[in-house]
Amino acid sequence: MTDIIKRPGGAMANRPLHFFWLADCSGSMYGEKIEQLNYAIRNAIKPMQDVAADNPNAQVMVRAIKFSTGAQWHIAQATPVEDFKWDNLTANGVTDMGLALQLAAEQLDVTQMPERCLPPVLVLVSDGQPTDDFNDGLNTLMNKPWGRKSVRIGIGIGQDADLEVLQKFIGNPEIRPLQANNAEDLVKYIRWASTVVLQAASAPASQVKDQVSGGVVPIPQAPPASDIDADDVW
Amino acid sequence: MSTLLQSKQVIYGDLTQQAYTIDAFLGAGTQGEVYRAHASGQEVAIKWYFPHYIQNDVQLRQRLENAIRKGSPDNNFLWPLELVVLPNSTGFGYVMPLRPANFKSIVDLMRRRAEPSFRALISACLQLSESFLQLHAKGLCYRDINFNNVFFDPNTGDILICDNDNVDVNGATGAINGTPRFMAPELVRGDAPPNTESDLFSLSILLFYMLMLHHPLEGKKEAAIRCFDQSAMNKLYGTEPLFIFDPQDDSNAPVAGLHDNALVYWVLYPQFLRDVFTRAFTSGINDQHGRIRENEWRVLLINLRDSLFYCGCGAQNFYDGDNIKTCWACNKPLVSPPRLRINNALIMLNYDTLLYPHHIDQTQKFNFSLPQATVSRHPQDPSRWGLQNISDSAWTITLPDNSVKMVDPQRSVNLAAGISINFGNTSAEICV
Repeated sequence: MTDIIKRPGGAMANRPLHFFWLADCSGSMYGEKIEQLNYAIRNAIKPMQDVAADNPNAQVMVRAIKFSTGAQWHIAQATPVEDFKWDNLTANGVTDMGLALQLAAEQLDVTQMPERCLPPVLVLVSDGQPTDDFNDGLNTLMNKPWGRKSVRIGIGIGQDADLEVLQKFIGNPEIRPLQANNAEDLVKYIRWASTVVLQAASAPASQVKDQVSGGVVPIPQAPPASDIDADDVW
Repeated sequence: MSTLLQSKQVIYGDLTQQAYTIDAFLGAGTQGEVYRAHASGQEVAIKWYFPHYIQNDVQLRQRLENAIRKGSPDNNFLWPLELVVLPNSTGFGYVMPLRPANFKSIVDLMRRRAEPSFRALISACLQLSESFLQLHAKGLCYRDINFNNVFFDPNTGDILICDNDNVDVNGATGAINGTPRFMAPELVRGDAPPNTESDLFSLSILLFYMLMLHHPLEGKKEAAIRCFDQSAMNKLYGTEPLFIFDPQDDSNAPVAGLHDNALVYWVLYPQFLRDVFTRAFTSGINDQHGRIRENEWRVLLINLRDSLFYCGCGAQNFYDGDNIKTCWACNKPLVSPPRLRINNALIMLNYDTLLYPHHIDQTQKFNFSLPQATVSRHPQDPSRWGLQNISDSAWTITLPDNSVKMVDPQRSVNLAAGISINFGNTSAEICV
């Protein structure tokens, strides 16, 4: 009896969710900071895969852009999250953040995106100020319908991160940029963005009172910086 | 990856002062994290809350204490057993039974990582209805029925309901409004707080998902949405909810290629199931009084399970008079087995059918504890099938020629057309 098909049909219908990392690789990230970012993203892969596996509503696809002097694809091919691997970034050059947004915008054009999707998620990580025309890049992004519909999260590394720019990128006063002043916070925020935000963009969890509601999707509160994650200290 | 408690950390029971040692991190949600722990050689699960969640949900502790005092509505709930605390900390959590590994999530069902038979799946739906009936009968409201709070055993259909920390007295103000895709339209619109009636809507959604592997409101309107964001969800589930099989309005019908499961499953089930889902998502969509109550689901799901029969290929099909003629699996014409008509219900007499007090004793509705009758084969002539009396009392049968005979315990009656059986206070007729 074990060979018999028990019930007909396929898996529950779902939609693609495109997830983009936008990582600052400028010279100021050189050394500990870029290694901390590499570690934090590698650390978030398994939790991200677990969240995606438990979410029947989304087919999560991951890409990554690195920016320093110019912007380039770090992961150009939209990669199913179950196959997502992270090659370490290196840091050198200036902070062409605007170009990174231009690059993301190209792929969020209606001609490049599937017809039906969940809101894309863009996570921008930076330790400094843009050296190119950030506003031009942001305008290009926001002129794309999928750009406007995207869920944007900004994570600043260290005291020099331009939180104002990150806030402009987020474009929703109810979601604040996250400032990671140490490696533990960075791990926590990267994981939050790649799990909680990912989940919220596709299958929002139980609606609790403290949720941010003004955006594309409700985003649960980010973890406070003071919650030290003992398991993740290195 | 835990953020709150560490392996080998010891926390203490609020009531018993029992020391619980944390063994492993199991998972995290929006409210907190769940761990496996042990105490006195017994394994338990512990949910520990995020500090910011405790701040936001001021009634949480009181609610948990009430739940612990009241006790579990039935054995299917992973109910809070006691609060747990840490010395010199404001944090807390609760202890509950640990979910055995053979229980799978509804997400596993949706992703086809768990493949129950129709019989086991319907049994799971039935148990869900029974457990929510028990919870609601206690004057409680669950508030957050969704994929992540129910687990089931794909082999037996046994279920477990977790996340019972949102349960409160019906009408109380709580911190949880529900989960998108499961919330009743009036909750999505913000017109009403969760209550028993909105629980009933969420239950209907969950049952539809389980039986059809699709959402009952996702048809053409969903297909027309490019970006499925908050406003799209508000429209689809809140301001313009329309059943995909609404008999009066096909503007949200399922789209082939996008909503295939809905199209495949809808026609597979008997009309009586389609009728009830149609009521649940037409008259029941905006009118709280139109919601299908658990008791109706119970009767219907038992009838649905009793209507299952096997095709020669082994696939389980549903009997629906002349409406279903070919097997969904092999496409060959179906041959129905003998059936037992008891009042308005039909029970297919398959090689493995068992009858319970529920079927043969009007005073024992929903009692499935001990089988009272089983389909059997004649020991000398395997081509002859019978219904064997495995109860303690004799049955009386009336043959087509009006002659009357007794069927003592352990004896069988032939499965032949026109024989009626009197089980005591319930009569049945064999149809072929």
